[in-house]
Amino acid sequence: MRDLPYRWIEAIQDRRDYIEDQLRLGSPVVGLPFEQGCLLLTVTKGAQKIFEVHDRIALSAIGHPADIERLRMLVTDTASVQAFQSATEDVNLHRLTHYVLAHTFKQAFEAIVGEAYIIKMLLVEIGNGDEQTQFTHINYDGNVKVDHDSAVIGGTLEIENAMQEYLTAAQNGNNSDLASTLQLALKTWAVGRVLSQRSEEAEDDTDVPDEEIEEIISTELEDGEIEVGILDDTLPADTKFRILTQDEIQAVRDIS
Amino acid sequence: MNHKGDFLSLIKHADTLHGTPEMDNLSSEADIKLTHDSKPMRDAIQLPFQGKSTYGKTLEIPEATTVVAMRYSEGIIIAGDRRATAGTSVIHDRAEKVLPIDSHSVLAISGAPATAYEIARVLKHSFQYFRRSQLQELSVEGKLRTLSRLIRDNLPMAMQGIGAVIPIFALYAPQTDESENGGKIYFYDALGAHFENVDFATTGSGSIWIRGVLRYIDRWGETRLEDMDQQQATITILRLLDTASEYDAATSGYNAKAEIFPTVKTITQQGVETLSDDFLKDCYVEAT
Repeated sequence: MRDLPYRWIEAIQDRRDYIEDQLRLGSPVVGLPFEQGCLLLTVTKGAQKIFEVHDRIALSAIGHPADIERLRMLVTDTASVQAFQSATEDVNLHRLTHYVLAHTFKQAFEAIVGEAYIIKMLLVEIGNGDEQTQFTHINYDGNVKVDHDSAVIGGTLEIENAMQEYLTAAQNGNNSDLASTLQLALKTWAVGRVLSQRSEEAEDDTDVPDEEIEEIISTELEDGEIEVGILDDTLPADTKFRILTQDEIQAVRDIS
Repeated sequence: MNHKGDFLSLIKHADTLHGTPEMDNLSSEADIKLTHDSKPMRDAIQLPFQGKSTYGKTLEIPEATTVVAMRYSEGIIIAGDRRATAGTSVIHDRAEKVLPIDSHSVLAISGAPATAYEIARVLKHSFQYFRRSQLQELSVEGKLRTLSRLIRDNLPMAMQGIGAVIPIFALYAPQTDESENGGKIYFYDALGAHFENVDFATTGSGSIWIRGVLRYIDRWGETRLEDMDQQQATITILRLLDTASEYDAATSGYNAKAEIFPTVKTITQQGVETLSDDFLKDCYVEAT
């Protein structure tokens, strides 16, 4: 097929359409920094979606659970081996992203006779000392986007842009406490969720009123749970990651 | 891909770590597939016989140290002296022999430092890897077996008399009711068998001088070990190490001039805590 470039490009476009169609309804994920580190938030209906990769690195993704699991294991295994054979300090998000994940995503995406990964991944690493927190968004085709203030993954690019705009308007530039950061992350998640449920005809309208945000949160929480993973730099152990319990999430939401 | 959460297996097959089968054909200088440098580490954790027959040889265990663990009211207190020796020479006076493995477990080592530190490192990475890959903590029994396997794999070195390690492994069992003491102490032999010591354990060359004392305090002392608060337990453990150092040349005492204290850690429901030098200094005033 490679001897006919236009057919290859067409096949790639078909694959892109197929993957985006599969990802469209995925529950978004929001990553935000807060006073003690950073958090990842989503709403799930059972399966865990936020994972510890290494001492200071966490991961979340939307897509097919089997693909998420396979790539989660790849990055976790690589980080673990690297830390053992060299040192924990030598494991960092930049290397994992560019030398392990990005080309794996790209290769699977462009190998049109093989299976593609139906996935969008968000990784976060809290900085050590003066280093900044780093959010890394990896698209199913291997494209990488790095940010230091926040990051989101949603079903489509339009959904992600709308979520990011909502975040930019709401963020005040300073890292807030856990309670208000969690609340902002939840509302941003709700923006993405509302848009993913709108029909394709209405997808140009990215305005989501507050009432709709509150409504979707209460509807989705009827059979879903908020999942929050934090990287807390104040934890005494080397490992800074932990999943908040439902009681902790409720207590934090009650504060805000 | 490794789906068992077995870190040793992962390391042994690190050469084949990849995402897709097609990636086998890729080669990049920046790629961290870790092909060439994984072998030495494999050897380091499973050393072979060096060719000489050891049949019928007595297992000689060099244990120049004293480490001791006791159950006290809040959990476990575990301590070790700081001296490292080679023959009759003191080669280091700030050695760490009480090593935190994860948030609720500690390994206290006696024996060949190179092997002991490597065992502690493998253990730490194994527990972390299991949690990260399997999304749950390794069970207490699983942790004990992992350590057993490492000690057993080291048997060839132990048989040659150059690398035996006899550790104490102490932990606080998760999900223990707050009204109970979840502290547990395990003692290992050179073949990797583990035994739970209910109240205390000690190992190393200085241990013979204090094992009887521990038994005496626990049985007939004014306060039983498990009824002691943190300060009482710390004072007791410092006195025990001081006693060991009095009779064992390979165990150091408190070096007042250089302010070098033994390493003392507690393991409670809240996790592993290293007792500060200031606290130990105050306890020494009481202890002596």
